[in-house]
Amino acid sequence: MYGWTGNILRVNLTTKSTKKEAYSEEFAKKWVGGRGFAVKILYDELKPGIDPLGPENKFIVALGPIAGIPAPNTGKAVVAAKSPLTGFYGDGNLGTRVSEHLRKAGYDALIVEGKASRPTMLYIEDDKVEFLPADEVWGKGTYATNDWIYGKYGKGVGVLNIGQGGENLNRYAVVRSMEGRAGGRPGMGAVMGSKLLKAIVVKGHRPIPQADPQGMKALGAGDLKKVQQIDRETGWSIQSTTGVLAWCNEVAGLPVRNFRKTHHPDAWKIDGERLNNARIATYGCPNCTMRCGITIHDHEGHEAELDYENIGLLGSNLEIFDLPQVGSLNYLCDEYGLDTMSAGCVLSFYADAIDHGATSGDFKFGDAERAKELLRMAAFRKGKLGNLLAEGSLRMAREFGHNSEAYAMQVKGLEVAAYNCKFIPGQALAYGVAAIGAHHREAWIITFEIKSTTRESYGPEKAAKVIELQRIRGGMFEFIVACRFPWIELGWPLDNYPKYFNTITGLNWTLDDMWRTADRIYSLIKLNFLREFPGVTRKADYPPAVWFDPSNADTEGPIAGRVLEIEKYDSLLQHYYDQRGYDNRGIPTKDTLKKLDLAEEAAKAEKHAKLT
Amino acid sequence: MKVRIKMIGPLIYEAGFSEKEIEIPAETTAETLIDMIHISKQRPKIVTRNGKAVAPNEHLEEGDKIAISPIYSGG
Repeated sequence: MYGWTGNILRVNLTTKSTKKEAYSEEFAKKWVGGRGFAVKILYDELKPGIDPLGPENKFIVALGPIAGIPAPNTGKAVVAAKSPLTGFYGDGNLGTRVSEHLRKAGYDALIVEGKASRPTMLYIEDDKVEFLPADEVWGKGTYATNDWIYGKYGKGVGVLNIGQGGENLNRYAVVRSMEGRAGGRPGMGAVMGSKLLKAIVVKGHRPIPQADPQGMKALGAGDLKKVQQIDRETGWSIQSTTGVLAWCNEVAGLPVRNFRKTHHPDAWKIDGERLNNARIATYGCPNCTMRCGITIHDHEGHEAELDYENIGLLGSNLEIFDLPQVGSLNYLCDEYGLDTMSAGCVLSFYADAIDHGATSGDFKFGDAERAKELLRMAAFRKGKLGNLLAEGSLRMAREFGHNSEAYAMQVKGLEVAAYNCKFIPGQALAYGVAAIGAHHREAWIITFEIKSTTRESYGPEKAAKVIELQRIRGGMFEFIVACRFPWIELGWPLDNYPKYFNTITGLNWTLDDMWRTADRIYSLIKLNFLREFPGVTRKADYPPAVWFDPSNADTEGPIAGRVLEIEKYDSLLQHYYDQRGYDNRGIPTKDTLKKLDLAEEAAKAEKHAKLT
Repeated sequence: MKVRIKMIGPLIYEAGFSEKEIEIPAETTAETLIDMIHISKQRPKIVTRNGKAVAPNEHLEEGDKIAISPIYSGG
């Protein structure tokens, strides 16, 4: 078997035991890696109903055949567990040298079980695994922790670590790496914290088994240069992801004031042009060809790294149109290890709930200094309010009552990304049916909707586009484990990826093989969801109710008077279910599961819920 | 007549301006407006007029706000 090491490392923090487990070629070909490995392992090994923050949960780091191989943007890893935010399978990817080092240590995945008796750092070097005390950095932020690790092992090692947010079980705490990268939005950092696992450090020295290592070396090196050249020619990296802010503001798709508004005259103050003007440095992931992390000096003088999502959600969504102040909020999230996107939505929801009388408080939109205090309280679960803010917007809404759940900007408990879908039906669907809760990672169809279709349409072409992109973005890139940016932002041809995959594995896969694997993985995530929520209805795939509320319509601008229409959204959802082969609850039918070789998994699901 | 043009993302640096008002002849279409600006014809782009997508042959009107953007893909 080429392309895969054939081994998973299982570590138990309770017993301090380790096991190197071989897996079969059949398993490798069926699940490939990354998200595929993670969802299969968690589906097989976790009982439904367990506490995500208890020792029964398992924290997974999963890589794929392309991960860590020098080729365009392959320095990624998937982290996964049962989510404390959503209550079912959750995952995320982040740029990290763990990608290369874990593979070189001889493993394609790491399973962390149990709970340590004291703050622990896991050190993995080839066959050696050490459980080291991390008391010295417990209570410290991700930057100090990263520095402490680099001081011990040098900057070349692979690192995953958490901040105080993860330690204090904030439900949207993320995993951090390389002082700037973050992943695992649905609370993957809190799962590490619940295990008293402060950090994972990996160093590997072995070659990654490849069918044609010389061929891949030449292919990868050539393509790295080609993608860099495209980036230079197009100028994409000048503003990186933040260029889209000005466009969203033009087309009424920007989150403003907890998504109540879709554009704002001051948006230019925090746009990509201003960010580029204030830039002090640029950062990227290993093997990156188009570094997207732009840093500026924040209000307090820290170096803060910004991209579109965090400017959208910590900036315009909070009506904070001051770039250094947005940088400060972002810096605090990064230091504490909080998801900037959920944090932005939590704060905007809190301000909106105060505005609408659902709760009382002293936080107002535009108040950057109070927002900083609230982030600190959320990270440390300080007091009753800090505890509440650490729970995420859905749980907050259930506490507040007064119909505030309608404007808690989340789906399945995961907060939405920085695209306001008040009148963008297809993207609202993309949030609704994203595998792990509202996330833009899996499908983003807004330019397609505006340029190539009618914005008003709820037709099957939009459902088809969401599925097409889920297969690519939430599927292939998440199981071969590589960054989607060269393809999605620079137009690097998609068929390069099966080419890399085949050169490494010696197989002869086509893109259709990738899509079939993607469909299998999506279906298993759905079964995971069903086992946890056996009474699920299609309402779980609806976006926030405020987007259907005519009283929330814009009073001026491109979409004045328009909001999503609930009956039409439901028909769009049905198009999606029909094209996917799902039943009217959004669960794959038995026939669909059989076609995807998931009969065994279906039988397990039927012990907990009905399949149709 | 006058229209306001806003360039988005890297097109700002290619065109050499971020936003400006320009005088254009009557009957100018979205497509002919692009010809008046120094940006690559080959680059895929999306043009909006007052926040809504505009067809290449659509005539512009006095006071229109035109935004020209690369085709972003949501990161």
